[in-house]
Amino acid sequence: MPVKVLIVEDNPVARSFLSRVVRESFSDALMITEAGDLETARRQVELSRSGPSAGDPFKLVLVDLELPDGNGMELLAELAQYPATKIVTTLYSDDDHLFPALQCGADGYLLKEDRFEVLVEELQKIVRGQPPLSPAIARRLLTHFRHGPPGPGGPNSAAMPLLSGLQTSRPVPSGRGAPLDHERLTPRESEVLTYLSKGFTIKEIASLMGIKWFTVNDHIKSIYKKLNVSSRAEAAVLASKQGLV
Amino acid sequence: MAQNAFEPRNGVGRSSRLSDSPHDSSHHSHSPGQGVDSHFDSALNELAPPRAWQSSRWMGWRLRLLVVLTLLGCVGVFALTSVVIGMRHVDAMWSVNAQGQIQLADSNEPALKAHRGHVLVGVSGGDDPRIAPVDPLALKRSARWVIDDAMRAHQRELHAGLAAAFAQPQVKFHFADGVVVSVEPQPHALIGLPLIYWFLLGVALALYMLAVIVLLSRPSVRNVAYLVMAWCQAGNLVFIAIESTLELGLPDAFLALDMPVRMAFDLVTAAAMVNAVCLHPRRLPGSGWIAIAAWAAALGPVVLLSLQRLPHAWWWAQCSVAALGLLAIALLSWSYHLERHPFAIVLRRFGIVTISTWSLLTLALGVSSNLAGMPHNIADVGSMIWYVFLASLLLLVPFLARSQTFMREFSLLAAISTVATSLDLLFVAVFSLGQFASLTLSLFVSLAVYSGARQWILNQLLGSSMLTTERMFEQLYRIAREVEAQPERTPALLTQLLRDLFDPLEANLVERQTARTRVATDGSGLLVPLPALTPSAAPNAALPASVMIRFAHRGRRLFTSEDARLTDRIVEQLRRAVYFDRAVEQGRSEERLRLAQDLHDDIGARLLTLMYKAQSPEMEDYVRHTLQDLKTLTRGLAASNHRLSHAAAEWKADLTQRLTAAHIELKWSFNFDEDILLSVVQWSALTRVLRELVSNAIAHAQAQQLEIDFTFANDRVELVISDDGIGREPRAWSHGLGLGGVRKRVKQLGGQVEWREVAPHGICCRVVIRNLSAGHG
Repeated sequence: MPVKVLIVEDNPVARSFLSRVVRESFSDALMITEAGDLETARRQVELSRSGPSAGDPFKLVLVDLELPDGNGMELLAELAQYPATKIVTTLYSDDDHLFPALQCGADGYLLKEDRFEVLVEELQKIVRGQPPLSPAIARRLLTHFRHGPPGPGGPNSAAMPLLSGLQTSRPVPSGRGAPLDHERLTPRESEVLTYLSKGFTIKEIASLMGIKWFTVNDHIKSIYKKLNVSSRAEAAVLASKQGLV
Repeated sequence: MAQNAFEPRNGVGRSSRLSDSPHDSSHHSHSPGQGVDSHFDSALNELAPPRAWQSSRWMGWRLRLLVVLTLLGCVGVFALTSVVIGMRHVDAMWSVNAQGQIQLADSNEPALKAHRGHVLVGVSGGDDPRIAPVDPLALKRSARWVIDDAMRAHQRELHAGLAAAFAQPQVKFHFADGVVVSVEPQPHALIGLPLIYWFLLGVALALYMLAVIVLLSRPSVRNVAYLVMAWCQAGNLVFIAIESTLELGLPDAFLALDMPVRMAFDLVTAAAMVNAVCLHPRRLPGSGWIAIAAWAAALGPVVLLSLQRLPHAWWWAQCSVAALGLLAIALLSWSYHLERHPFAIVLRRFGIVTISTWSLLTLALGVSSNLAGMPHNIADVGSMIWYVFLASLLLLVPFLARSQTFMREFSLLAAISTVATSLDLLFVAVFSLGQFASLTLSLFVSLAVYSGARQWILNQLLGSSMLTTERMFEQLYRIAREVEAQPERTPALLTQLLRDLFDPLEANLVERQTARTRVATDGSGLLVPLPALTPSAAPNAALPASVMIRFAHRGRRLFTSEDARLTDRIVEQLRRAVYFDRAVEQGRSEERLRLAQDLHDDIGARLLTLMYKAQSPEMEDYVRHTLQDLKTLTRGLAASNHRLSHAAAEWKADLTQRLTAAHIELKWSFNFDEDILLSVVQWSALTRVLRELVSNAIAHAQAQQLEIDFTFANDRVELVISDDGIGREPRAWSHGLGLGGVRKRVKQLGGQVEWREVAPHGICCRVVIRNLSAGHG
């Protein structure tokens, strides 16, 4: 049975390029579905849930952030409970854009301008559970977990995303006050994040902390999970408010 | 001559010194407990100050007394006017001809009108056969300004005869050609009183009232001295006013009083002036003894004169006044030496002008007194103008700090008129010029002096502004920038502005609230409220609320209410400049953001498509490069600045990823002594330089290892990138777009870049920026 992949991307050239990246990355038989906008994507997701091929969901979803009929993060928020690896593909590499996407449940991100080989490698890493963490996002995560989720007017509200449309679709965290367990990082995780924010590579962090590199990776995965969990709860609240669910 | 009217209060706010200049040290030696000096003071508009415990007790009787004295003053004016109206006179104007004889100049009496130009030899009253002789002295109204004792006695005889004649129902005028005209003297009509009478009476009343208000608002010894001076001069003016209504014949009693009383007025004024300057602007050592000596020197001649034991009384009076005036000037100089209070210097200038005009007048009259055919009324007019001048100075003194431009001009004009009349007399006396010629000449000289020296005199009296308008604007906008950048420095910056504006000896931050700028301590200080220039700088109770500057122009100038308004306007302009700056900055950042978004969305998407469709790997890399540059550009546009450590972390992560993909090992070392904020230009230039150099190494060097060493210390950037590749002879490289770009960026930051070979193989590139903060970024 082929592995189902959904690629949501409005630029046909980029779409086919990403298809090539996906095919190169995995040896499995693949069935790639392409969608040019959010509406098509939603239809395909709905089909996979209730259509003739129900019970065979997409295993991998690549979502472009800037789409003609909306922002990719809307789809990410809707797919919060969907059992697929969700990856954001974007031109925006700054944390202002990526961090909200990660909060929406993205398992990683790919920068579209990277070389083919780099993209293949990154995609494989994400699927294996080694998502990237740029220093800027690591910094952002530290702030996030230190101060609790920043609301409007919080520590990060001063930083403006390039897309003003993002602000409307960015999940607005509702909880303030004392952080819950899933909102707290362990000291080790904090340490890893701090090193990441200073630009150290995973190998360097491993040697600095005296642990194996895959242990560092586990910490990063755990951080991602905590972010997703804490954000998912907020996203759910937001989605129900917006009538998305 | 003059003194300040208001007692300083000792309500001193806690003050913190902002700065120390060497000039200040002498000033600070005195302790605040000296009483003469205090940080804050009241002004006339604080007649009902908030210090209730004092005001409630005092204001009651003081207000009542003020009302009573006001009424008394008005009643006095009415009584005097009714007496003057009751005096009978003949409506005729007399003048002195070239032969020293009295002739009829003009008259509204029909009987006299026909005899215009005829010489008068005597006057007799009714049936009384005695003819009272007349000579020019009879036309002299004031005994005070008759110089010679014998002439004064003669004048009194003349007037006694005339007064007896005028007491009769009919007065007969005997003319030289034998004609006798009989006229019935009439009381004055109210309308018929000369304008000068009302004017002088008005000035006298104003002086009287002002002195009362000044004393009652703050009773003190020095204000009593001011009251004495003001009332004496008001008395002088009343005498002159009465004399102005009379032509021939003064009441005998009046004439008898004229000399001693008016001389007493002048001498007492001089003594009070000395007394006042002993106490203000600061109490001088031994002030009591000096005051007693002054009073003795003044009252001695008065007592002697009243006992008829003073020969050359006029000279005594004039010289005593001049001596006391000089003493006062010397005391003011001493006072200024002890404490650089600008009041002393202003008063000293007033004193010098007053005493020099007085001496000039004295000299002119003294020289011309012995000459026959002297214009008899010049002495009267000259002295009258001098008194009006002094009165106007006295009226001006309590308002020095609020700049009554009108009063200033008026007193200046009066001083110049005194000079003019004195010069007129001197010209006639010394150069034997004709009356018309000398009058023209003296007027001309005086007007020339007035118009030429007016501005200079005004500047000397009250000083001029320190800053030119141009420099002021420059300062204003520079400070607006700095306030924008560092709102917490607002007090220091504002103080600096005020220092440049007024050049004060002291500038302190004080915790005293004031709604608007105001003059304090009678013009020696200016209290400027600190404006809330930035929204973030919320009013904080712990912050000082005002700036107090004292002793303008290094203690040579008084603050005026114009200065206060000017300061208010400047602060308002500063507030506006800051506001506009902020609005402009916000507009610019919004515009940049929009531009960045458009660039990124449109051009970025196209470049991406182009990259995917690239025919060759070189083309693809080229477009990728362009795309990355575009991203750097748009990010630079969107963000305002980047912290050095954050930027370095991103550089490292980015380069590691790229070099790992190219299978090149990165040895990264980054050191800094200060985590500065990079400006957009600095950030994007450094980002692109690094990226370009690394790209170059990846593309051409075929290196195994790349070593990057970034050091930032003492504002100096040193970036060394060395590879172990196959590159050779850097000078022979064609500096295409890439390396040309590196040179351009480094130059933009004010630095230098060089490439050289390293052993055993490879290229080392070294970028040095000596002064990053001073760079063109």
